[in-house]
Order: sequence, then C-alpha cells, then structure tokens
Amino acid sequence: MSKDVKHYWTSLDRREGATGMAPGPEFEVPTADDFRTSRRGFLAAAGFGLAGSAIAGCSRAPVEQALPFLIQPEAIVPGRATYYASTCGACTAGCGLLVKTRDGRPIKLEGNPDHPLSRGGLCAVGQASILPLYDSQRLTGPLQQGQAASWAQVDGAIAAALTAARDAGRPVRLLTGTITSPTTRAAIDRFLSGFPGSEHVVYDTLSTSAVLDAHERTHGVRVLPRYRFDRADVILGIDADFLGTWIAPVEYTAGYRAGRAPGDQPARMSFHAQVEARLSLTGARADRRLVVAPGEYHLVLAHVANRVARLAGVAPLVEPLAPAPVAEAVIEDLGERLWQARGHALIVCGSHDVALQLLANSLNHLLGAYGATIDLERPSFQRQGSDRALERLVAEVAGGSVGALIIAGVNPVYELPGGATFAEQLRKVPLVVSFSSHLDETASVAGFVCPDRHSLESWSDTESAAGVVSVTQPTVSALGDTRPMIESLAIWSGVPRPAYELLREHWQAQVYPRRLAADTSFEAFWEKAVHDGFVEVAPSVPAVRAFTAVPLAPPPAAAREADALALVLYPKVAMLDGRGGLNPWLHELPDPITKVTWDNYACLSPSTAARLNLDDGDVVRVQAGEGVSLELPVCRQPGQHDDVVAIALGYGRLGSERFAQVGPRWFEARPTVGDNGRVGQNAAPLAALADGMWRYSGVPARVTPAGRRRPLAQTQSHHEISVPAHLAPPGGGRRPIVQETTLAAYVKDPSAGSHGHGEAAEDLWPPDHQYTGHRWRMVIDLTKCTGCSACVVACQVENNVPVVGRDEVMRRREMHWMRIDRYYADGPDGSVDVIQQPMLCQHCENASCETVCPVLATVHSEEGLNQQVYNRCVGTRYCANNCAYKVRRFNWFEYPREDRLQNLVLNPDVVVRSRGVMEKCSLCVQRIQDAKVEARRQGRPLEDGEARTACQQSCPAQAITFGDANDPGSRVAHLLHDPRHFRVLEELNVKPSVGYLTLVRNRPGDGGEGGGNASHE
Amino acid sequence: MSGRIVTIVLLVATVLASVLLATRLGAVRIPGNHQGYEPAQPIAFSHRLHAGELGVQCLYCHSGAERSRHAGIPAASTCMNCHKTVTAPFGAVRAEDDLATKEGRKPALIVSSELQKLYDAMAIDPQTMLAAPDRQPRSIAWTRIHQVPDFVYFDHRGHVAAGVTCQQCHGPIETMERVRQMETLEMGWCVNCHRQVNQTGVAGRQVYASIDCVTCHY
Repeated sequence: MSKDVKHYWTSLDRREGATGMAPGPEFEVPTADDFRTSRRGFLAAAGFGLAGSAIAGCSRAPVEQALPFLIQPEAIVPGRATYYASTCGACTAGCGLLVKTRDGRPIKLEGNPDHPLSRGGLCAVGQASILPLYDSQRLTGPLQQGQAASWAQVDGAIAAALTAARDAGRPVRLLTGTITSPTTRAAIDRFLSGFPGSEHVVYDTLSTSAVLDAHERTHGVRVLPRYRFDRADVILGIDADFLGTWIAPVEYTAGYRAGRAPGDQPARMSFHAQVEARLSLTGARADRRLVVAPGEYHLVLAHVANRVARLAGVAPLVEPLAPAPVAEAVIEDLGERLWQARGHALIVCGSHDVALQLLANSLNHLLGAYGATIDLERPSFQRQGSDRALERLVAEVAGGSVGALIIAGVNPVYELPGGATFAEQLRKVPLVVSFSSHLDETASVAGFVCPDRHSLESWSDTESAAGVVSVTQPTVSALGDTRPMIESLAIWSGVPRPAYELLREHWQAQVYPRRLAADTSFEAFWEKAVHDGFVEVAPSVPAVRAFTAVPLAPPPAAAREADALALVLYPKVAMLDGRGGLNPWLHELPDPITKVTWDNYACLSPSTAARLNLDDGDVVRVQAGEGVSLELPVCRQPGQHDDVVAIALGYGRLGSERFAQVGPRWFEARPTVGDNGRVGQNAAPLAALADGMWRYSGVPARVTPAGRRRPLAQTQSHHEISVPAHLAPPGGGRRPIVQETTLAAYVKDPSAGSHGHGEAAEDLWPPDHQYTGHRWRMVIDLTKCTGCSACVVACQVENNVPVVGRDEVMRRREMHWMRIDRYYADGPDGSVDVIQQPMLCQHCENASCETVCPVLATVHSEEGLNQQVYNRCVGTRYCANNCAYKVRRFNWFEYPREDRLQNLVLNPDVVVRSRGVMEKCSLCVQRIQDAKVEARRQGRPLEDGEARTACQQSCPAQAITFGDANDPGSRVAHLLHDPRHFRVLEELNVKPSVGYLTLVRNRPGDGGEGGGNASHE
Repeated sequence: MSGRIVTIVLLVATVLASVLLATRLGAVRIPGNHQGYEPAQPIAFSHRLHAGELGVQCLYCHSGAERSRHAGIPAASTCMNCHKTVTAPFGAVRAEDDLATKEGRKPALIVSSELQKLYDAMAIDPQTMLAAPDRQPRSIAWTRIHQVPDFVYFDHRGHVAAGVTCQQCHGPIETMERVRQMETLEMGWCVNCHRQVNQTGVAGRQVYASIDCVTCHY
C-alpha cells in the first residue's frame, strides 16, 4: 500500500482508515437503531404468511374487459406514447418539458432538448411534479369558509366583497410568488386596474431580492441578470447553490457543464471557487472551497475585490478591512485568477444583504462581467420578489388597512418568519382568497379557496429570460372542478374569458409583434410555438443604465455572541421552499450531500458536535430570536463551518400528515412522521424579516441537547461498496471505487488518476458472449455529474419504483434502482473533497449475480444486458448478496398501491413488481425495445441516441451517455476509448458494461492525489 | 352422541358443497393456459362475415397492430363508417324489400338487433342516423380474449413489420363466428416460433427473432 492513495470515506464512522477505502464492515450489519423481531412477532408473521399464501393461491383468472373509444381521437393510439412540448411549472425557472402521455394521461416529464435555457435537463423537483397532478388530496372544487361551494356562489361572494372594499376605499392586495407568465401578469394588471390603490406584491421564499435591489442601484433597473455560466472561465460563488437550488439550477448546470469538459474538442475547464458556510451541492463541485462563517462572506469578498482592484490599478473598493478569515495566499490566488480571466469571470452571490450584493456588482463590473458572463440586456425574470414590499404588506395587514388580500402561488402563513402572527392578523382583512390547490396553511385560514389548476392541466406561458417565451399546454383534462387563476381574475373583473383565449389574445397583441421572422402569420407563429414549446422573440425590457458606482459599505464587524452558533437556513435540493413537501418521491430522495431521507435536521460540523457531545440522531433544541425554538435531530456534516448550525427549510408542511401511513403496513411498521404528526419541522420561524431583508443566515442560535434520540433515515452507509483487503490485487493498494485527478496532471497525461487495473490477464469464463447485434453500454462522466439526483427521480418515475417510507429506509430497504454514492476525502488545507458517483446495475459480462441464481431468474442477454426476470424469481436474494456493487433491491412487501388516482402515474410499459422478487436497473430495456421495434417498423437501422435511458434523458449535466458500443459512430463507443474511462472494481473481472470517466479537478498538482499508478509498482 | 351428529352434519355439508361446486367447476378459468377460451361478446360480431365473407382487411379495424404495441379494438366510430348505411344483414333487407313491393309500400328500415346495440352505444337513432339527445353514449365493453400475463410485453408492431400473419397466432379468425383463442399463448409456444423463424425466415425473408428474456419480460 502506498501513501498516495487518496482515502475516501462515506461517513464519519468510516473516516479512521489507513489507506484506500476505509475499512467498513465487510457485510452490512444492522446498527443499533435497526429493529429486531421478537420470537412472538416472528411466529405471528409466519402464521399470517401461511394463511395468506393459502388464500392467495385460491384465485381464478379475472375476466378482463376491453373498452375502446366510441369516437377515435386523432392523436391517441392505444399503447403508443405521445409527447407534447410544454413548460415545467414546478418552480419559476421555466425549463422546457416534453410530456409523455399514454392514452390521454401524462405519465412522465422529460427535458426538452431544444429548449434554449434548460437544454434537455430537468431537475428532481421538476421530474416529481407530475405526482401532485394525481394527488387525491388536491382540492376538487372551491371552498367558502372551509365548506365546499359552487363556483357561482364563490364568484358572487368575492365580487360583492371586492366591491365593498372598493367602496370603503380600502386597498386590494394581490400577493404572489414570482409570475413569469406574461399573460398572467397582464391579467393581474387588468384585474387590479379596477381597484384604485391596489398593488401586486411579489415575494420569493427563496429570496433573491437583494440581487434585484442591488442592480436597481447600480444599473437602474430592478431585474435579475441572466448569468451565463457557459461563458465563464473563472466562477466565484458566494453562498449561492446555483447547481442545486439557487434560482434556475438546470439552466445553470447546462451552462456550467459547457465549461467543465476537459475531454472535449476544444477542451475547456473552468475554475470554480465557492465561499460558503455549509457544504452545498455546488460547493461539493468546486475546485476550491472556502469554508467561511455567514457573517464573514462580505469580508472575504471585500478582500478579493481589493486584490482585483490592486491588479486593475484602481483604488481599493472597500476600506478599511479587518484581516481576512482565510489565508492571504488563497485570496491572492483567487484575485489573480479572476483578474486574468477578466471578461470571462463571474461572481454570483446568494446573499440576502444588499450591501454585499453591491460589492459583488462592483467587482463584476471591474472584471468586465457585464455584457460577457452577465447578461443584463436580456435579463432573467425567474425572480421578481421584493422583501421590502413583502415587509410593507405584512405591516399593512397588521395595521388592518387592507380591504382584500388575494394570495396565489405562495403560502405566507407557512413561509413567513412570523407566519402564525400573520395568520392571526389575516382576520383583520375582510376578504382573503387563496388560489392554493391544497388546503395548506394559508388556504385553511382564507375565507375563500379557489383552487388553481396543475400546470399540466392548463394553458399558460412563461418568459423566464427576456426573449424566450415558452408555452404551457394542457396534456390532460382537469381532474377536478378547478379553474385557472387567470380565468378567476377575468370573472372577478367582470369579463369572463377562457384561459386559452386570453393566452392567444395576449400572444397576438404582445408576443407576435416581437417575432424575429417578419413574414410569418400569427397562426403559423402560434402553431410553431405550441409545437416546439417555446419561441425566441426580441426582448422587451426597460433600458439598462451603464454601471454607476455606488458607495460601498465596509463589511460589518463579525459580532458573535459567545456560545451561540450562526444559524443557516437553506433549501434542500428536493424540498426547495417546501413545494415538494407533499411529494413522497421527493421526501424519499436522499439528500445529495447528507443522504438523509424523510426529515430535516440540524447540521453541525463534526468538531462542534464532538464539543457538544452530540452524535447523529441526538435531538437538540435550536433557539433563535425571541423564544422561537425547534427540536431537531443532529446530523454531523463534514465540510461545514464550526460556528454554524444549518437547518433545511420546507419541512413540516400541513398535509404531510398523510405520510404517517406511507410504505408497507405490517405489524412492526413505525410511522414516517415525527412527534408533530408531520414530516420534519418548519424552520421558517427561525428566520427574520426586518429592514427590507429576509435573513436566512447569520441569525445567532443556541443549541442545547434535548436528551432524546431520533435516528436519521440516512442511506449513506446502505449498499456500500467495499473492497475487502484480501481481495486487493497483489502488490497494490486497495483501490478506491472512484478515480480523480487534477487538471495539471490530466494535461500531462490524459490517463492520470487511473489505477491501472485493466482487463484481467486470465479469465475464468469462456468468451461465450458474441454480441453480434447491439451491445448496450453506458459511460458516466464524474467531472460533469453534480449529484443533483434528477436521475434518481427520473428512474423512479420511469420504472414504477415504490416509495417505502422512513421506517423501511432505516431498515436499508429503500428501492431506488439508481443511487448516488457520495464519497468524502480529506482535501487540501483541511477541507473536504466530495465525489458523487451514480451507481446502478453495472450489467456485468461475468455477472456474479447470474452464477448464483438457482432458478435462472437473472441471466445475460445477447445485447449485454443483465436481465432480471421477475416471474422466475423466487426471492432467494443470493444475487443481491453476491453483487459487488450492491445495486439489487428486494421487494420485502407488496408496497401500497391502493390510491387509484395516484396509480395513473404508473408507467404501463413496466411491470409493478410484487412481494418476494428481486429487482434492479434494467438500463430502461422497455425504452430500448420500443426504439428497436419502432426502427424495425420503419425499416431502418437504429440510430445512436434513439434509445435513451430515463436517467440519461433528463440529466441536466449530460453526464450520462448510453448507446450501442458495436456502432463505431456512437458517442458511447467514442467515450469507451477515452483515457479517463475506468470501470469500478475492474480487478474482480466481472467486466461491467457501465463505466465512468475520471473526475478532473481544476487544481495545481501532479495528480498523485488521485491514487496513481505508482501504488502498484 | 352429539359428536356423531356434528360429524354427520359436517360430512353432509361437505358432500353437498362439493356437488354444488362441481357443477361450476367447468366455468372456472384458472390462471395460465386459456386455449379454447370463447366468451360471449356484448355484440355478436362475426369475424366470419366481416373478415371472411366480406374480406375486410384485419388492419382496417385493428389499425394499431401496425403502429403500436396493441392491435386495439376499433372505436365504435370505425364501425359506423359502414354501419351508417348498413343496418341489417343483406337477407333481412331483401326480404323486407320483397314484402314491401308485394304490399305496395315503401320498404321500412330494418335494424338488426345486434346493430341496434351499436347505435345504442353511440346514442344514435338509426332511423335518422342523428344523435338521440335522450340517450347517453356508452363504450362497448368487449370481453378480452387474447391476453398475455401481466409480466409479459408483447408488441404487435414488430411482428406485423416482419410479415407474420394474424392467423399465425390468432388462428383462422376469418372462419370464426365467435372468436376463440386458438393457441396457448404460453412462453414455450412463443419461443418455439422465435427459434424456428431464425432458421426458416418469415414469408421468404430472413428475420432475427431474439429469445432474450427482456424481449418480452421487463
């Protein structure tokens, strides 16, 4: 074993190894938190099982009926999928969608590869946003004072109340999230114009108000610039998780990946530094990560700015300065790189502090970013909220002056720091209307609830960046008696119109005149926009003023109370601001960094946890502000600042009580929800909304042990790949599962970082796989993969993977076919390096699972797939035990599928597996077969890229390549010869069909830290 | 004493139950092989008449077989393409014509009782061929005959493209008054054909029919 093998570990318990993979248990051993069956329990289960199987055996074949259409619709061919271009409604980023529909109902959302912003990617939240469509707890009609009412009743009462408010001279307020739809904005303006003194207040829970305010001061317009990560060579992120949760992660990932392509022609490799207090998804990708307390972001950026100013030969931007909390050399290096890359440098700052944003703007200006990496001519409309306006509205409501409050797309009672107080004060407003589709926190205190439609049920549009207008088209009839918001507003304005007409009229009047091709008719323009899902037109934005220097405030002195930690409230990739809070797919998605499911928790750095004598799962009371406190379990998070406690937003939603019963119901099932009856706890009350700023970070918090335990459903040590010492190749160190190198080493030698375990010289198996037809293989680029987990949800939707619930996850029984292994390693200067490795069935040629199956339920196909035949499987689980990659999943139960509405989301092309069978990734064989048979039908050979797996289709980073290795022109055949290509556990000679490309970090160094060939010599 | 009575009662009950159940045993289809299954359909549609005597192409009604996984059962609107004008069998119409000529009146519109079910489903008045506002259109619930198990995916497209005739799997359907499942549709039967055609080809053309599990199971 040599000393230059990087030491990778998956959890802190595994950190203490010598070299190579830290010695974990060779086989998975249940921890103390796992349950043990009592003898009595076992006998009860055995008895019930026997009786159940006897009863189940006595069935007869059901008589099935086939109901054809009466009148054949043109677009629907039973059994054939139809795709419609649309726009994702899950957040305000406005990614392009292809909605896969079968027999008139949407079953899967995929990225639209032609869309100019998202470029074919779709995040986990977007993928999962199809499930709420089939949510049986969605409101099916309007409510008046909590009672079901008819639309006529509700409309009459609201119109009367609105007139009363106008006559009384009390203003009308419309409170919404960011509205990217130009048609909706126009409808709102029309509606409000009927009420003098009315105002449209916009806020974003994940606020970027400070960015907009700062640009208003420096550039004269209150807009969000469009960040062009694709043009940036040096990126400095400050507390902006732009690959995970900040504004438009899919669009940013698409741009970011363009700059992270060391193997492409021409090669590009951007440098990315991240300044943050907790370990975010973006920080995990950074080439250099500076761990800084939230109160010191400003100071660090000021030092960098002054350094750049010195290089630029101008006066320092901020003076005087306290010493930087990071090494001077790091600041100098960063300043040097930024200045060298001027015109190709980009600083993104996620802070809620306008003063810090002003500094970021000034530095961006100094680096020539405006007009290059920051587009203000064609800005983004993805965030429009104003914290100041929100604060004013809260005061108005408290003052009792508001005559009517109409709330759409937001949930202030849940999201505001003083939500409970706000709910009380809403009583002073005579008319409160909510457009919520669920009876959420706000809707349950509103007088009227007028449920809006799901975005897959309605016509709408989105202009997320100036000049790119996307169309949202309905792909299913409304499933309840709901009504689009713009129709409701039109009715209350006295001019009822259907949403489709409103949309078309707006397009004819406002969008069509901005067309780029002059000689198209409106009909053709509209048809094309609906067909493509988007249209590019001339931007229409107020003129941007040239940069105006503003006086920059010095960084505030870091005022830290003794023994208090700085609170950081952050959005999680799956949950965001809580919009995923009722979606079981998103709850069960392991967080890309902590790997925890079904809960939020207080993240502490390992040393702080040790100081407070806390371990994972110990409950602590986190107290911030005046008397607001939460009790949450601890999660020790490497790479986090010692003075920080980080808590995820978006949990504890009203309505998450439904998950008490999620997962299999059996006699030892434990509920998924916590003591409060909900999933996780709402951390929003810990934030502060004051002085026009919504503060999520830096609020001082006290952490005290509560003396209880609530173990976390953390998947990081489940299904862990380990390399036992006695299986290590002779003379060599035990090989890490992942490979990494540095850019410097890669430029010298493209195969740097390789562990040099090629094919085995001797083979136990005869070469009996001929692969005369197709040969399916997959390559995953670890340099591109961000770990965003979109693939995990895509796979779950495509392959009908069940949700098992918190209790089953804790028993290591999660069913995801695709998991993302997250490895830590100790990086330079005490930081933590992270590698994300998507792990799925590797479809080995000499598969260890195949040889041990006693019933031949898993066998090799002539196209290189490792086939799992569910109806042959008898559930011995030998295959899972023998799998080196731990990718097989066993159906311990018949997972609940009683919700008939929710079952409509199931993919009819994939079997719903029953209890007692093994399952695993099939490389989306249903898609392969469909592509093959379609090519055969058309009498032509299959082309590269026709058969795409679900994980590949929506990957925002395009890290996954899949195809036919026997086709010499295919992309995958090309990548197989990439010097970075390696296969996990190659020394076992199982010959996986899935390979990976070595992670390249843009760091100086000779590549020795990746392992290196030296270790075997 | 009472024990003996109980035993006798139980025995009598068991015998009685067996006799009652035995008569229904024939009607029970156990999961698996449904060869010979020939259920009554809601409309006594005759493939012998349409596909045999009249020579209507299979794909005219089952157009999905060409472009989709499922061959599909035609929508009622497809039936109406012909049955807008054809309301009864030819013989019945001619008899009415003859009778009307004899009686010196205009022949009445004859509507067969089976086609009346189609018009009822479409909520159409056959006399005018216009929608009958007092009736609700309702889909026709046919009983499915050919059905592979849940864990099998069969795709018509590839088979039709390769030139496999419908009769090869569905039997001489053009002679059937009521459709009956001719083949077993069991895996061995599928695999035998897949093996065979790799040697013999289909309709004179060489084909490749895979016998990988994932050809059908996923």
